[in-house]
Amino acid sequence: MNRFKPFGMVILLLLFSAFTYAQDSVKSSPAIVKGFVKIKEGKFIEGANVVIEGTIDGATSDDKGFYEFETEETGDRVIICTALDFGEKKINVKIESGETLILDINLSKTDFKTDEISVTASSFTSGDNSKVTLTPLEITRIPGANADLYRAITTFPGSNQVDEGSRIAVRGGDPSEVLTILDGASLYNPFVFSDDYNTSSFSTVNPWGMRGINFSSGGFPARFGNVLSAVLDLQTYDVPQTSGLFAIVGLANASLSGVYSKGGKFGATFTAGTFFIKPYLKLNGIDQDYNPTPTTSNLGGTITYKTSTTGLLKVYANYSYDNVGVRNASPTYDGYYTGESKNFFTNVKYSFAPTAVSLLSTSVSYSIYNRKESYGVLNDVSDNVYSKVRSDFSMPISQAFDFGAGLEYEYNGYKVDGTFPIYSYNLSTTAPSFKLNENKNNGRVGSYVETKYKPSANFLLVAGLRNDYYTLSSKAVFDPRLSVVYRISENSFIKGATGIYHQNPALQYFVQGNTTSIEPEQAIHYILGYEYNRENDYILRIESYYKDYSNLISFDPYNYLTASIGSGTAKGVDVFLKVRLKPKFNGWISYAYTDSKRKQYDAANLTPADYDITHSVSVVSTYNVTDRLTVGASYKISTGKPFTPVSGSMFDPINNVYIPIYAYRNSERFPTYQRVDLNAQYIFALFNRFAVAFFALNNLFNTSNLYQYNYNFDYSNRIDVNSSNKRIIYFGMGLQL
Amino acid sequence: MKKLFLVVLLIAITFNSLKADDFTDAMLKAKKNLQTATNTYDEKALVKVRGEFERILQLKKQEWIVYYYIAFIDYSIASSAMGEKPDNDKLKKYTESGLNNLEKSILIRDDFSDSYVLRYALNFNRWVYEQDKMADIIAQSEEAKGKAEKLDPENPRFYLMDGMATFYMPEAFGGGAEKSTPLFEKSVELFNKRVEKESYYPEWGKDLAYGFLALSYAKRDDDGDKKKANETLETAIKEFPDSSFLKEYVKKQLESK
Repeated sequence: MNRFKPFGMVILLLLFSAFTYAQDSVKSSPAIVKGFVKIKEGKFIEGANVVIEGTIDGATSDDKGFYEFETEETGDRVIICTALDFGEKKINVKIESGETLILDINLSKTDFKTDEISVTASSFTSGDNSKVTLTPLEITRIPGANADLYRAITTFPGSNQVDEGSRIAVRGGDPSEVLTILDGASLYNPFVFSDDYNTSSFSTVNPWGMRGINFSSGGFPARFGNVLSAVLDLQTYDVPQTSGLFAIVGLANASLSGVYSKGGKFGATFTAGTFFIKPYLKLNGIDQDYNPTPTTSNLGGTITYKTSTTGLLKVYANYSYDNVGVRNASPTYDGYYTGESKNFFTNVKYSFAPTAVSLLSTSVSYSIYNRKESYGVLNDVSDNVYSKVRSDFSMPISQAFDFGAGLEYEYNGYKVDGTFPIYSYNLSTTAPSFKLNENKNNGRVGSYVETKYKPSANFLLVAGLRNDYYTLSSKAVFDPRLSVVYRISENSFIKGATGIYHQNPALQYFVQGNTTSIEPEQAIHYILGYEYNRENDYILRIESYYKDYSNLISFDPYNYLTASIGSGTAKGVDVFLKVRLKPKFNGWISYAYTDSKRKQYDAANLTPADYDITHSVSVVSTYNVTDRLTVGASYKISTGKPFTPVSGSMFDPINNVYIPIYAYRNSERFPTYQRVDLNAQYIFALFNRFAVAFFALNNLFNTSNLYQYNYNFDYSNRIDVNSSNKRIIYFGMGLQL
Repeated sequence: MKKLFLVVLLIAITFNSLKADDFTDAMLKAKKNLQTATNTYDEKALVKVRGEFERILQLKKQEWIVYYYIAFIDYSIASSAMGEKPDNDKLKKYTESGLNNLEKSILIRDDFSDSYVLRYALNFNRWVYEQDKMADIIAQSEEAKGKAEKLDPENPRFYLMDGMATFYMPEAFGGGAEKSTPLFEKSVELFNKRVEKESYYPEWGKDLAYGFLALSYAKRDDDGDKKKANETLETAIKEFPDSSFLKEYVKKQLESK
């Protein structure tokens, strides 16, 4: 009997298995399932897949939305319907043997498979997100932007150029309230000629080297700390996949860039460039008196190495140098303002995935900005050193929740050595002056937690909290931030954001006030807006904002030392309309209304902020005449910026100068600013290589825009000093080597 | 006890094989329907067979080869949108879907050369509707191309795609018929000795390789090549008598020259 025991069990097992298999799949005489697949509005869907869950029994709908199939799977079943562009819909049905089940399936908007919401308040994004607003190609094609990322951003609402250069003032704030982040590191002063008299600044960031560009003019999340107004968040490319060289020679500059790739694991890039202005000045008839003539040079590059499937080590370094001397006649000194700066920045970033869904990245950065300036009695050298270590961790907790957290420590050292005028109005070489040799440093420990909550495809909430502790002032701040986006329809969104933002004033104010008790400046942002965005081809954004400032730097009226007693508000509306008619036309109009008032610096009351530009309009258009030729035109018009006029003067017989008497801070405005720019690009082959020729005609109508007012010796005569950006012709060529 | 264990194992294998056979049968049937649809370039038939593959996912949800085929059909439908009546919306919809399905396939199995060949091909389509993402397209294409070649240097579809990219690229930028010819020749040569490891692995592309080889011969400035082009087409039609690509597109192109 024992011999048969196993066989008995085998038969039992077979029977059991067969029974289970039969249970799993009740089969009887065939039934028919048929019907139509349509969207609620009645339009039939072709190519929808209808299938009984767990089987291959099903059909694909035809061009009339009709489907029909035969099945032996009867009983309570689940029918799954999927269609491209739509999500999955499950329907419980009872299929009876030999019967016909008529099942019409309606796919509604709620079944619509939507892209993850990537629209957030006040941000313009390029790169990974699907809702792209600005691309590197667009940046290079914007007339008047000179392929400069920062200048391109000023064609969007809410941001204005400073002195027609690359520095940006956002929503009436100061340019120092805009922070550039590169691969997690803070990139301070990424410009050449940044503060030089009537010489426009240029950025040192190459837009083509950026994988992602995100510019947020307010309401940004908790991961960004120590910044009051706006963030430009840049991510460089990972491992390059090609090798090659590209050279550009223009009327005033030449550059060589290269990229190298080995086995998809190792890559390197470099860019070297220099600037020579004489041919440019001669051709354009610019009679600006320079000594020395402006020069710049820069050298930078990246090295990337893939350490594992998810591990990536990235090193970025850039060095830039500029030098310029510009003739300026002030009431007390007629001579050259000279400025020279050297700027070095490096960042090492390592990122990897500790688990299949999480990401940890750590970066260490160092930068030093050395600057010399002289004008009359003013003669000084300053060094700004920044160093930062930062770690960011992110992971999804569930389908609806993402979690992120980070920690950073930043060191900032400021050293100044030189001679400064005692009275800002008297700059002659013999004017009363004082020597200053000081240094200050500050440490900042920052941390944040952030959660992204997506309860449905139509709703996104980002909530975060950050904390920063400033070692110099021993102050700690807590910044809660919240951003909400609700999708009204496939392409329309309502969005809002609010939050508290802090930024430590520049260390020079601690030096000037000889104090450590200056508090971080504070702004509270409130933003509410609407956006329609169809595949980045049609975009309409209307956004209103209100900002409440406190602890701004102001001079104490009793001792005239710097103190955190300033305040202010900014309110306004930004409108942006973009149309892209592929493949020929791309253009946008942006309008910004700003009302920004501050009690800051020497203002006794609330007065217009330095960059309070009431109305500002930009119109940009590019047209592809052929596949090879693109032309563009842009027009900018804006209210003149505020300035503080001189309302009288008094003679100082001891120093033999007139003392200006100023009216209220920013109580007058420059004339309206306007400018029209044109450009063209032509792609062709030269020596069997890719080549591009470019031509630009800036300030077509040679409009005289005011740079500043100068005064004669006794301030009785106000003299216009116009911007050096007159009508300018520029051309050049790029060649793949 | 040992015997019992063996018997249970056998039963388990039997039942698993049954399910595997269902899968293989369904795959082979769908693959055959796909071949007919691609031969005739019938878009409605392609949409229908796409549904067949989607339904196979009900049998094996995590089957990389099914996602591969859906991506391939997406590519075929997207390519048809570049025909006589260009439809950019359709091109984008199916190219994006193809890339998405391919991503799912590669996530499950990342060493299948043909997946990267297809990714290389799908990225070409992006040029039409995403010229502003030039750097990303180049990076993605180059990466896919490199991986496809590394994983299977003898893959004829790799040479076919590389040949097509070269054929359509202007001579000034390193393309043209002169340079694409040896790539298509290599592709045909490799197709001739290719035996796929599994019956349901992809086999598409040989008619395309023949067709583009004929077009490349015809485009070169050499009288002798016209003869070569016609001979190649003749051989191809003998082997693929149902191919509308050869009979309708390539033949017409050669006749117009």
